[in-house]
Amino acid sequence: MFYQPKNVPEALGLKAELKERGVFIAGGTDIVVLMNHGKAAPENFIDLTHIPELRAIHRHNGTMEMAGNVTHAQAGKLPIRCLAQAALSVGGPGIRELGTLAGNLATASPAGDGSTALLALDAEVELTSVRGTRRLPLEKFFLGYRKTALAPDEMITKIIVPTNYKTDWAKNGKRGAMNISIVAAAVAITPKNEARIALASVAPVPIRCHKAERFLAENGLSGDSIHQAAEIVRGEIKPITDHRASADYKIHLSGVMVRRLLENLVKS
Amino acid sequence: MKKAAKAKPTGLWPLHFTLNGKKVSTKVRPTQTLLDFLRIEMGLTGTKGACLEGECGSCYVLVDGKPMNSCLMLAPQVQDRNVTTIEGFAHNKKLDVIQQKFVECGAVQCGYCTPGLIVAAKALLTENPHPSREEFLVGMEGNICRCTGYSKILRACELAADEMGLKKKA
Repeated sequence: MFYQPKNVPEALGLKAELKERGVFIAGGTDIVVLMNHGKAAPENFIDLTHIPELRAIHRHNGTMEMAGNVTHAQAGKLPIRCLAQAALSVGGPGIRELGTLAGNLATASPAGDGSTALLALDAEVELTSVRGTRRLPLEKFFLGYRKTALAPDEMITKIIVPTNYKTDWAKNGKRGAMNISIVAAAVAITPKNEARIALASVAPVPIRCHKAERFLAENGLSGDSIHQAAEIVRGEIKPITDHRASADYKIHLSGVMVRRLLENLVKS
Repeated sequence: MKKAAKAKPTGLWPLHFTLNGKKVSTKVRPTQTLLDFLRIEMGLTGTKGACLEGECGSCYVLVDGKPMNSCLMLAPQVQDRNVTTIEGFAHNKKLDVIQQKFVECGAVQCGYCTPGLIVAAKALLTENPHPSREEFLVGMEGNICRCTGYSKILRACELAADEMGLKKKA
């Protein structure tokens, strides 16, 4: 069956009833690819594209709240540097109009471009079901390779990020456009001058580099400490060798990207 | 096996939307992609399919003016929306400016990518009538062409932008 709810409570009611047998569809940029290749044939779809409130973006007490269906095209216009950069690096214009930030999180790809930016921003996700609403730090949302904390009856209703972090973002891949990253990196400096470092494509899920962050918290954001933090990043990650690049190359690249991003951010 | 067949999404979905300026009311198989629906049920074969995973852009259509990969959308998702395919570009047998410039510049070889590229260019120029070279490259980055090497395509798009600008002034 195909359902096209007009509001969130209606969608949650359906999901509570169908659980795993009901698949949320928004951009379709993951699930329809699987269907086209004969790798998935969901029984029931709950289409989220006709729920206007899920497209909303609100500023609220120094935070930006993006509803569950905010697209990469929408996020690309936000005044949050790392997030806008990450969103604009996703696919081409058509994919950015279709694909959503929340969908990118729910699919929990190790190479999620948006995930790095959101992790560096200490983003929180709001998960809602007919049972109620809870908030989780994004880091707690990713449980393992393509595994998330979403319960079978839950929906990502909001992504919440602060508006006062200084941020930057970069991705390295084999070509300029329509690129899946070899490594993607986001860095941020909080108002308390603490560094945040997030990487994708170097672990089963997009990750934060806490050891390097702690080192910078203890040693300040000098050129020398940034250099050492980049070394710590190299020790902290466990990429695999795959068709995009070797593990060694990803380790090397991660250090270079984090160092450059932090150096530029401190200077700016 | 018998049960699964029963539970499969067999019911048809009543779909109402605008296609190339005309209201359409029909019934669709809800798991059919918009691409297949347009080509098979509507007979509009201008929109192409190739990679079926959002890499190539040959399936681009405009949905409420925005470029979207029709191979990744399910047909019922365009309920109440305004869809424009390449067939909706020419008016009174007169080609759209972008189409004209593609012809004039020889920006077409095998032609398979052309509808998608023209849709992408239209979306870009509607949002940004005077794109820089860099903005053109971003606006067209979702479309792959295996024949032309892109330079004639870019040239056609830039000339179309110029002409659309002149028309607006006049």
